[in-house]
Amino acid sequence: MNGPDQDRPEEEGPAPTRRHLLMLGAVSASAVVTIRPALANTLGSVLTCEIPVPDRSLSANYIASDGSLVPADTPGAFPPAPMPFKGEDVKAALRYGRTLPGTDYAQSRAYTNYIRRLQRGMSGFTCYASLQMPQR
Amino acid sequence: MTGPLYRADPPTMRLAVEAEGLTLLYHRPSGMTHVLGPPAPELLTALAEGPADAAEIVRRLRQHHDLQDDAGIEAVVAARLDELEAAGLVSRA
Repeated sequence: MNGPDQDRPEEEGPAPTRRHLLMLGAVSASAVVTIRPALANTLGSVLTCEIPVPDRSLSANYIASDGSLVPADTPGAFPPAPMPFKGEDVKAALRYGRTLPGTDYAQSRAYTNYIRRLQRGMSGFTCYASLQMPQR
Repeated sequence: MTGPLYRADPPTMRLAVEAEGLTLLYHRPSGMTHVLGPPAPELLTALAEGPADAAEIVRRLRQHHDLQDDAGIEAVVAARLDELEAAGLVSRA
């Protein structure tokens, strides 16, 4: 038995706008849960893994402040880091804003921006992805 | 006064599926999958227009959504952005 409202498609109602109230929740509420991939099983060496800046195959380039690679000697850009950074140091820089070893603030920011742009297949990517696991 | 600028990878770097009010999101660059509740997907959509601080993101959200009329709204948005940053979906520009 159907009342007058029971089988009326919602689309028939007045729809003056597609806006809806977006619930933002409280500051302390959480909106993101990350599913750990199989990679999580390999995390024993996360803190000692290394990230070269930049990838050795790209070491003829400088690193701009936004992390992009630019030709050597570009003003305002930084030369490649002489040694790869340890996962632990990168984590401290990404999470807590510490500067990477042997760098000043601007240089560290350029290098960490480069690291954030790492893609699958580039040196250091797996290390970087591992660092983003919750609780690591 | 402007706060920190946030940026997100372009939408083409993500695969998203909506399910029961949540969004399952696969982030191609990291190969990781995330479960997002509101307003996280909306924040990523707002950032698709380009880097922005929390105040600008609130302005963008208001173009498409009604928001709680709350004086602390920017703080909530900033907290959600920090959470997305920790997940690797958002970074400081």
